[in-house]
Amino acid sequence: MTRLVIVTTILTVVPANAQNSFDIKLPAEQRSVHALNRLTFGPRPGDVEAVRRIGIEKWIAIQLHPESLPEDSVLEQRLRQLDTLGLDTATILKDYPVTTMRPMQRPQPTEIVTQEQFSALLRGREEDQLAVLNKLDATKRRQILTYLPPQNFAYSPELKKEAEAARMAEQEERQQELRKMNPPLQDLLSPEQARMATGGTPEQRQELFASLDPAKLQQVASAMAPASLAGFPELRRQGMMKRFPQQLAFSDLKEGRIYRAVYSSRQLQEVLVDFWLNHFNVFEGKMNVRPLLPSFERDAIRPHVLGRFKDLLLATARHPAMLYYLDNFESTAPEIFSIGPFADPVGFTVQGLSRRAHGINENYGRELMELHTLGVKGGYTQQDVIAVARCFTGWTVRQPASDPTFVFAAFMHDTGEKVVLGHKIAAGGGEQDGLQVIDILAHHPATAKLISRELAQRFVADDPPPSLVDRMAQVFTKTDGDLRAVMAAMFAAPEFFSQGARLAKVKSPLEMVVSSVRTSGAEVTDPWMLVQRIADLGEPLYGKVEPTGYPNTAEAWLSTANLLGRISFASELMAGKLAGVKVDPVRFEGQNQLAIARELLEAEPSPAVRDAMETGFEGKDPAPLSIAAVVMGSPDFQKR
Amino acid sequence: MLTRRCFLRGPAVVMAGYGSAPLWLARAASAAETKRKTLVVIFQRGAADGLNIVAPFSEPRYKELRPMIGIQAPGGMNGPNGPIDLDGHFALHASLQPFKDLWQKQQLAIVHAVGSPDPSRSHFDAQDYMESGVPGKVCADGWLNRALPAAGPETSPLQAVALGPQMPHTLRGPRPAISVSALQSLQGGNDETAGVLESMYAASADQRLAATGKDAFAARRMIQSIGRQPFDGPRNNAFLQGGELGRNLQQLARLIKADAGVEAAFAEIGGWDHHGNEVGQLFGVLRQFGMAIDAFCKDLGDRMEDVVLVTMSEFGRTAQENGNGGTDHGHGGVMMVMGGPVRGGKIYGRWPGLEPEQLYEGRDLAVTTDFREVLSELVSRHLGQKDLSQVFPGYRRGEGLGLLKG
Repeated sequence: MTRLVIVTTILTVVPANAQNSFDIKLPAEQRSVHALNRLTFGPRPGDVEAVRRIGIEKWIAIQLHPESLPEDSVLEQRLRQLDTLGLDTATILKDYPVTTMRPMQRPQPTEIVTQEQFSALLRGREEDQLAVLNKLDATKRRQILTYLPPQNFAYSPELKKEAEAARMAEQEERQQELRKMNPPLQDLLSPEQARMATGGTPEQRQELFASLDPAKLQQVASAMAPASLAGFPELRRQGMMKRFPQQLAFSDLKEGRIYRAVYSSRQLQEVLVDFWLNHFNVFEGKMNVRPLLPSFERDAIRPHVLGRFKDLLLATARHPAMLYYLDNFESTAPEIFSIGPFADPVGFTVQGLSRRAHGINENYGRELMELHTLGVKGGYTQQDVIAVARCFTGWTVRQPASDPTFVFAAFMHDTGEKVVLGHKIAAGGGEQDGLQVIDILAHHPATAKLISRELAQRFVADDPPPSLVDRMAQVFTKTDGDLRAVMAAMFAAPEFFSQGARLAKVKSPLEMVVSSVRTSGAEVTDPWMLVQRIADLGEPLYGKVEPTGYPNTAEAWLSTANLLGRISFASELMAGKLAGVKVDPVRFEGQNQLAIARELLEAEPSPAVRDAMETGFEGKDPAPLSIAAVVMGSPDFQKR
Repeated sequence: MLTRRCFLRGPAVVMAGYGSAPLWLARAASAAETKRKTLVVIFQRGAADGLNIVAPFSEPRYKELRPMIGIQAPGGMNGPNGPIDLDGHFALHASLQPFKDLWQKQQLAIVHAVGSPDPSRSHFDAQDYMESGVPGKVCADGWLNRALPAAGPETSPLQAVALGPQMPHTLRGPRPAISVSALQSLQGGNDETAGVLESMYAASADQRLAATGKDAFAARRMIQSIGRQPFDGPRNNAFLQGGELGRNLQQLARLIKADAGVEAAFAEIGGWDHHGNEVGQLFGVLRQFGMAIDAFCKDLGDRMEDVVLVTMSEFGRTAQENGNGGTDHGHGGVMMVMGGPVRGGKIYGRWPGLEPEQLYEGRDLAVTTDFREVLSELVSRHLGQKDLSQVFPGYRRGEGLGLLKG
């Protein structure tokens, strides 16, 4: 009964018409925490007070100029441990190969037989196959059979069996060899020790690891799943380095993102890196992209998040990660029949045909307009998609393995005349054609609108007031796409500090997880588990397959699985079950539930949260950390 | 196999502290004999290439359009592991071997040249339209949600289930729907604090959070009780080869077998946007797709008599291969319908042909069957939802394809 009354009261205070609510100013005491909720990954203890002390306008100005802000010393110390972060792509490819597990060198098919003979064995008639096989000595015969599908010899049960046996023997041999190179845990430790290593308490594992000599320890580390080394970051890094070095570079990148989000004093910059990485989404699982990601984030995104949009757009257009992700690297003029020394040298399809590029690939041209600039209703046609794709032919990657840098390959370029959104691009052009498209798109009014709307969606509300978006778009146009000016205009707008914006956003999984860590004051010495939990909640870092990126609005994250997952996460975090993330066990000692809630939310809890705790905990005397977990799992904490 | 009665043993304990058992539980106990029908939707995100999944291998034009990536005629060098001849004209892709059996048992029907009337070649827009069931318009909720009967006190909290951490557009809407990533991981705190959190969400002024919370805690109870039942045997290993889709369908099979009252389910599989090197990529993703669905059908066994599974993708791909051994965004594609009630072993829909003048805008397979025609039939005949005007507003049904028996 009481609850009903309270709900009604709230509904009358907050106007039903959301448009009006953007006209209502926030009371002064709510402004600091609101600014922190939007410009940072959530307030840490003491932050609200600090913003008040500095003054909100001044604090925002500082956040808009991160270069003048000294970086947090804890962050710098943490990042130093992730020593692959500064490496260029060529070094990663050279020193951090996908795997070190190189099984014995086996001769390639054409080292055993001629190309013709191999073709005959693969695709020839029965008599052709037999003619080749019968000419080979026993060793060569066995070797070549391992390359052929046994069902190729369906006509002869004996031969089929021989081929199967050859395959089995070869696989067995390989496995033996691999086992010797990388012995499994049971070959390295006693059964008791092995149980301890994977299932023991952190203290027991610590003790076990300390008892092993360094060489043995590295073998043990590389034999364990990285997940079971959460809380032992150095050991996990050694283990990955021994077996899957490239995995190390990728996990350094993800862990660096978390460290920065949690500790960086340049919070707005980190929020923007997340925003723009998502806007220019690339997927780690697409060919060749993973080792390029550190550079994509560091060289294409980070330097431009408060710079000129056109520079950002061009940096992404030229980055090999984007060239691979949206296939532009192999887009060519129709008459070109070879991509020569460039791009992917692995040119065999299943049919054994050599892969040759001979035409445009529309993928980048389309997503460039739909997602990166104009928006799907931005007024382009299929003909524009084709014209843009033709302009970008020849924007490719010099060499994927040894020199993965941007190059304009003139011989791949379509030099014909093109018309893009009504602009004529004269015949005979080269790299300039693509640059001209970048220029047209960066200065198009639809782009100013789309970028402004997306920013307002992230920083103000899921459905931001059109008046605000329009004003931001005007600033965008007037300043030649100066993103710092657009951001400043948004933060200065009355809609930003309005009732309509307050707690209007549902946190994404990344935001929820990081804000929990920040408000709890937990110390992170290994972000591995946090990376995993964010992925479990549906937002794996660099893991969005589709070019749309993750949704910016609430619907996608309002699901039962997500809600229960968040509640579970909060309870794990506060119970100290996340290895490498340490909460202060006595921080809330002696405080009542209301005080704990106020501290974690940096606000008065909603009546729903307050009442449920009062009723539910009555006479139960729950531990302060359980109360904290409930607060972080509460509806209030899911919003910012 | 779990029975409803078996499942009912657990919850009393779980329910303690939550007040009386809800009505759906009582209904489940009394109505042990009424089996529920389930409609499973699998979305292939990224625009699956219908022309290489169900390939018109006998058409010379097909080979001209796709000299490098076209599917070879069945019976070639790969013998029994090659493409599967369906009717002398179409062949199933070689990596869909597990579907051969379903086709022969007439539990697999194929609808070709199917798609949305909307011309968009944007993944995002086209998925949105297909998931909402209202092409060309902005519509916040999904067709599958509107296809369900209004939830009453007897409706299971697991009436509509999405597999995966996010709530897909297809299942958003007024009816309660839940998303499940892993049944085991849905602890949602301990039982002591869960009660407090449930009250918080129930009273939250944010209607969206309140609604999600309500569904979440009801589902949590039900899933916990199912989680306490012994897991069904080792044959489930087959699911592992189906990747993430396999793992998700395994969870779903478990819910269906436990008589959890699932009427609509949604799962998805990404990775179909093959602008380059399509042959290798399609092989891999189709293999997982086939393995996962096959494992699901096998695991359910007799229960497939009550299950219809339909696959869909936002649009097809260009009829002609592009310069990179891939295909670009196209129009018409392919849908598959599987299950006991299906009149399978047949290819439905009018084949529009591949000649230049037959292609949509001169480049893509034309759409001759509206995807809503297929779904309308499944919704009305299998789920029993007769009022289709709410499910697919503005859509005028054709004569029906006759996809289901009886």
